[in-house]
Amino acid sequence: MIEAMRDDPTLVALVTAARGGDQDAWDQLVTRYAPLVWGICRRHGLQGADIDDVGAALWLRLVERLDTIRQPAALPGWIVTTTRNECLRTLRGKQRTIPVEPDERRADTDPPFDEWLLAQERATALRAAFAGLSERCRRLLTLLFADPPTPYVEVSATIGIAVGAIGPNRQRCLERLRRDPALAPLLDDPSTYRR
Amino acid sequence: MTDDDRLLRELGTAVRDAGQVPESFLAAGRAAFAWRNVDLELAELTELTELTAPAPVAVRAEPAPLLSFTFAARDLTIEVEASGEALMGQVVPARPGRIELRPAHGPTRDEPVDEVGWFAFRPPPSGMFRLYLHTTDGRQILTEWVTL
Repeated sequence: MIEAMRDDPTLVALVTAARGGDQDAWDQLVTRYAPLVWGICRRHGLQGADIDDVGAALWLRLVERLDTIRQPAALPGWIVTTTRNECLRTLRGKQRTIPVEPDERRADTDPPFDEWLLAQERATALRAAFAGLSERCRRLLTLLFADPPTPYVEVSATIGIAVGAIGPNRQRCLERLRRDPALAPLLDDPSTYRR
Repeated sequence: MTDDDRLLRELGTAVRDAGQVPESFLAAGRAAFAWRNVDLELAELTELTELTAPAPVAVRAEPAPLLSFTFAARDLTIEVEASGEALMGQVVPARPGRIELRPAHGPTRDEPVDEVGWFAFRPPPSGMFRLYLHTTDGRQILTEWVTL
């Protein structure tokens, strides 16, 4: 999977900046990948403090590793592997003390890990592309993708554009989203479509 | 449903999913960057052995379980044994300094590492912990998390 991120210029820039000591770039990396790390922990049936432990170990390893990452594009794959290993280590540790309750395990209805990972990759790219949009676009789309969607009259009142302009603006903002260089290859590939 | 509708719906789900991640989890991730300015080495767990100590004669019917861990950094190891009474260890080759025991939950404890590299924490921790060694010659070594 994840190879599609090879050409993600934002990721390369973030890793390079973080390596140079830029806390803001690091924060963005955390925001980008925390849902992936957290999700993998949940998939392994971990909760609460155990998830925090895995997270602590993962971020610390990543901080240590920043200088030696030759290919920033390999980062997501490294995060997946390292998080899984930490989860398994935590589960082994727990088994020595408390038996892992079967109901803490993932539900049988969850998709297989590979499939889930593809969906995560797509979701990560979507969020990153969304974060790169103008504030105007983000505000508009946030109102529109709300569940249930915000009525156009309310959207119009909230961000001060005519009801008739909402449709064209929505289209324009989504078009910009699609053009994101990291997201575009995923959108073109139907195998990664999130069901 | 148009492509735009689908994309918008998928975007909404992705953004909401990320919203489920607790803020404390994100904050811990951001805070980890502070470790970057520290000349810190991670020591990996290379050996974990569950031993069973011979029961002291006529004292106890049940043997006390013993766990032994080895953490390896670049050119030194921290060898640790945990029993019911203490967590004892040695830095090899010997380097004096201080060592912190950092449990996942609860306060950090701090003990000296003597000239031959010995240290001890009494009582031992329970649950997950890691050790953080500061040698007097200025090295800082943090072990992986382990669980007793």
